[in-house]
Parts: sequence; C-alpha cells; structure tokens
Amino acid sequence: MQKLRWRGVAAAALVVGIAFTGLAIAPNQAEAGELAILTWEGYADSAITQKFEDETGCVISRTYVGSNDEFPAKLAAGSSIYDAVSPSVDTTGILAKMGVVEPIAIEMLTHWDDIYEGFQTHPSVTGGEGWMPPEGTVWAAPYSWGSIAWMYRSDKFDTPPDSIEIFWDPAYKGKLSIWDDKTNIYAVARYLFGRDTNVYDLSDEQLAQVRDKLIEAKPQMRKYWATAGELVNLFANGEVIFSNTWGGYQSALLIEQGIPMVEFLPKEKADGWQDAWQIVKGTPNMECAKKFVTYMESPHAQCQMSLTMGYSMANATAAKECLTPEMYETLHQGDWTYIKDLDFWQEPIRVDKMVETWNAVKAAQ
Amino acid sequence: MNHLQRRQLGFAALMSGPIVWWGLVLLVPYAIMFMISFYSRQFPFHVPDFQFGNYWKIIVEDQYYMVLMRSLKISLFVSLAAFALAYPLTYYLAFKVRSHRVRMIIYVATIIPLWVSYLLRAYTWKTILGTEGILNSFLMWTGIINEPISLFLYNQFAMVITMAYIFTPYMVMPLFASLEKIPRNLIEASKDLGIGRLGTFWRITLPLSVPGILAGFTFTFCLSFGDFISPQLVGGPYSNMISNVVATQFGIAMNWPMGSALSMVVLFIVVAIITMSDRFERAGRLDLG
Repeated sequence: MQKLRWRGVAAAALVVGIAFTGLAIAPNQAEAGELAILTWEGYADSAITQKFEDETGCVISRTYVGSNDEFPAKLAAGSSIYDAVSPSVDTTGILAKMGVVEPIAIEMLTHWDDIYEGFQTHPSVTGGEGWMPPEGTVWAAPYSWGSIAWMYRSDKFDTPPDSIEIFWDPAYKGKLSIWDDKTNIYAVARYLFGRDTNVYDLSDEQLAQVRDKLIEAKPQMRKYWATAGELVNLFANGEVIFSNTWGGYQSALLIEQGIPMVEFLPKEKADGWQDAWQIVKGTPNMECAKKFVTYMESPHAQCQMSLTMGYSMANATAAKECLTPEMYETLHQGDWTYIKDLDFWQEPIRVDKMVETWNAVKAAQ
Repeated sequence: MNHLQRRQLGFAALMSGPIVWWGLVLLVPYAIMFMISFYSRQFPFHVPDFQFGNYWKIIVEDQYYMVLMRSLKISLFVSLAAFALAYPLTYYLAFKVRSHRVRMIIYVATIIPLWVSYLLRAYTWKTILGTEGILNSFLMWTGIINEPISLFLYNQFAMVITMAYIFTPYMVMPLFASLEKIPRNLIEASKDLGIGRLGTFWRITLPLSVPGILAGFTFTFCLSFGDFISPQLVGGPYSNMISNVVATQFGIAMNWPMGSALSMVVLFIVVAIITMSDRFERAGRLDLG
C-alpha cells in the first residue's frame, strides 16, 4: 500500500513536471502562418518584406546573428524554432551536412533564371561529394553579395590607409576595431603569406603565425565588434577610427549621422561574401518558408535590399531594372574584374581549428 | 489511513514539487553535462565517447588557463571593491543611524538597483565611461583634463567598476544582517572595560561580522566569476572571461563536449569556494548565547 502511494505521487509529479516543461517550450515554437527567420540585421527589414507579408498573410518574426558561426550553433540547439535562415556560402554547406536544412526545388524558385550564373553553380548552393541534394534541387537560394571592406574616419587620417598594416602601428593604440569573427584570420593570412594564399586551408604552423600576429595587434584594438549596431556606435561615439565592415552597410549608416567615412579594399585583397536563403528541415511553416525564399529573389525584394542595405544583389535582371546607372556601378553589379579581385568565402577545411585560433587570440594577455 | 500515514502522504505531496523541480532542472542537466564532457567533438557536431581529451586540453592549452586566471583576478577585484564600498556603508547604517526609518530608506535605496535590469545597468556605464561620455565631459568641463581619457572604457577597469556597482547589493545584504545582529551590550561592555573605538571595532565588531563578510565575498565573487555580459559590453580585447569561452563553445565553436568540460571546471571552482567559505564560517562561529 505504502509503495503504491509513493508511486502514485511520483507519477503525478512527473506529469506535472512534463506539463511544465511543455509549457516552457511551447511559446518558442514557430506557429503556422508565422515565419521565424534567423538572419543578419536589416535583411528582413519591413521595407523588404512588407509586400510579402501583405500578399501571403505570413507574419515574420526576426532573430539576428552577429556571425556565420551562429547559424549552425542556433540550429543545433533547436531547429524547430526557426523556419528560414540566411547564412553566407561558407556556412550553407555546413548546415546541409548537419542535416538541418531542406533541399529547395529549383522549379519552385520562379526567379532562378535571373540569378548570376556564378552564384547558381557555387558548390555551396549545388552541393558536393557526399552532400548532393536530390536531382532538381539546391541547398540554398542566392540572395546578396558584397565585400568585407575596411573603413576609416577620413577626418582622422592625413594619408589614407591602403593596407591593414596599421594594425601593428603603435600610433593607433586603442583606436582600431575588428569584427569578433574567425574571418580576421583570412585578412592577416593574406597580409603574411601573400594575397593569393588559400586562406581556407591553412597549416597549423601558418595558423600559429596568424595567431601571434593578431595577438601582436591587440594593443591597437579598442574593442572587437559583434553586431552592426555596435560598430556604428563605436565610430559614432568617437571610440574607434578604423575597422573592417560589411561593405556598403555600416559606413552608409554613419555617413547618415554626419560622420565622414571612407570605405576601401586593402592592397592585401579583401574577402567577398555571398548570402543565401535556406529552409529549415521539417519546419511546420513550409508553405510560408517556400514562398518567402522565392519572394526574396524577386526584383522587388532584391531592389529593396540593395537600396536599404547597400549590398549587391544576386538577381542580375532585377539589378538592371531598378538601379540607377551610378548605383549599378557602385554596387559592382556584373563587374567581373571587381568580383574576381575579391577572395570569396569558402567553407574552411578545418573550421574548428579556425574558431580555436580566433579564441586563442581573444584569450591572450 | 492512520494519522502517521496521512502525515507522510501530506509531506510527500508537499515535497514532490520541489523534488521534481530540483531533479529536472538541476540534477538531470548536471548529469547530462557531466556525461557530454567526455564526448568527442566530431564535425559538424559531436559523438558519444568516454575520453578525457577535453579536460586534458584545458590543462595543457594555455588559452584556458589564462582566461581562468583572468576571471579569478577580476572576481577578486570586484569582491574587494564591493567590500570596500559596502562595509563602511553598512557599518554606518547599523550603528550610527538612530532612526529606524532613515536606516530602512538608505538600505532599500542601496539594494533597489537589483530591481532594474542587469543589461540596462551595464549599458549605463557605457554612457558614463565612454570617450565622449559623461565622466570625460565632466572632467573636460572642469578643466582637469584637456583631452578625453580613453582608459575608462573597454578594459578590465571598466568591467570591475561595472560589476562592483551591480554586485555591491549582494555584499550589503549579508553584511547588514550580520552587523545588525551584534548585541549592543558587547560593545558597551568593551567600552566600559576601557577599550577604545578602534580596539572595540577590531576585537568585537569585525570578528562578529565575519560570517557576513564571508557570505558577501562568496556572493560577489561567484557572481562575477560567472559573468559574461560585462566583458561584452564594457570589456575590451583583453577582457574575455571564462563564461564567454563557455558561451562560445556552445555557440559559434559548436563544441559542446569542450563547453561541458569547462563548465564542470567552473562548477568545481565555485563549489570549492562555497565549501571553503562555509568551513571558515563554521570555524569562526561564536556562541553568543
């Protein structure tokens, strides 16, 4: 009798416990007709997505990332929370290999034929050995592209910088900033080993050299910036005068505030990036997600994205239609000499080692 | 059902909630974390395993050691700063303020920041300490400096200031409780016996407030040791703390085994500190009758 009662109490308690856990989880789960997207600041600005929401009735909720490494991390922690994501092409493949994204039928992407061919055939879109999507599908829908440019306050430099050399110039002690991201390794690797180095496949010895060089630059660093907003504030509040940037975006926000900013590509060559939309596997909002990914490649969304964010677009036809000739040139749409001079991100061979190296830099005294 | 059985049932019903809660949100997660700390990282995620590589890495790679040492150092400074601020204040409150009302007003005013969001309070320090912030503007207005000083923000100094401000109430509360409890007749007796103010403080008040000091230090130290917001907001390139590294392992590095192993080390350090403080407290406990 005694035993039975204990069991009853235990069972009741367990039910209560499970119910509580369920309650705690429930509000996070995406609901039908809603579209939870994990993306970069500004990517799903209402200027870009309002038309979509009006037309489809899908209501968008947004979560922002500060670096590409957050996409795998957030999806691994619970992929049911998000419906669509927009990583760069160095990360789309990682998500495909993790099995957290759905292949997208090309047939469904009504604007596919207008996308630059170079983006259509990128291995991070079409897949590779061991992680090819089914026939007629791709892993990601190309959206935007640009450079990881460098920018500085033109009122603080007598001679305009043309290199990242000033990282190691004590005259700039505490006046510089860089992105809190593993891609700093690429910039310094090109500085050390030449502009055509394959920075996505560095040896242990090379990584150690890059690490030491980045540690050597620490006295000049005021802060490692984590979000676009943080970098804008650092410049606006007079904390820093030089940093890397998501080409075209933060500098425009600062110029709007009356701060004289100049962007440039260093002589060591700059990173190029492409972002693409992916649909999270098993999302309960598949219909909205599919419509959304298709919509984001439409001329309307593409043009709004370029106009509000200052990034170049993946849809070649749309670029010709809506951009003024000056903007078309500023955004380097279809400018293959420019594009070829950017070192476009690829999935690093040993992404763990890259992250570890960057962490060692941050840990150093 | 007899009386005893009914009481047992009542007790079981009452305790089942807390026990399930304790089990589900504390014990089970700790067990899972302990288990994962032996797994191996394998791109893109990890695989079940039983190996000590993660712990070995923490020992041999100096990046973890450096961050641990930095976290301990900063927590110590925060605790000392909080103590230096809180002790005179609580002493004044407990012994010098005669009006109960005034005492309560000052006490509540001291701990009321706890009701304000942590993030907001940390952000406030950014606007105070920044290059074009309130402190620099004030110093330039008074003519003390001509150029703004950049040394106030984005470094360990800013972190210690911010955390000391945020965690001082946790020092004030236990200190106030222990100082208030000291029987006044002991102090009077000491004075009657011809011991001066300083002597009385040194031989009566301070020893009797040791439990409060220990509790305050334990609180502030452990809270600062686990903090990862202030390094992000007001810290600079040399400010990474152990909790930032743990967060990175579960975030961008996607190395849950390593993150779990680091968490176990942090847990061990915190438990060691609490145990030590408990020991000291017991050893120094006096029976006041």
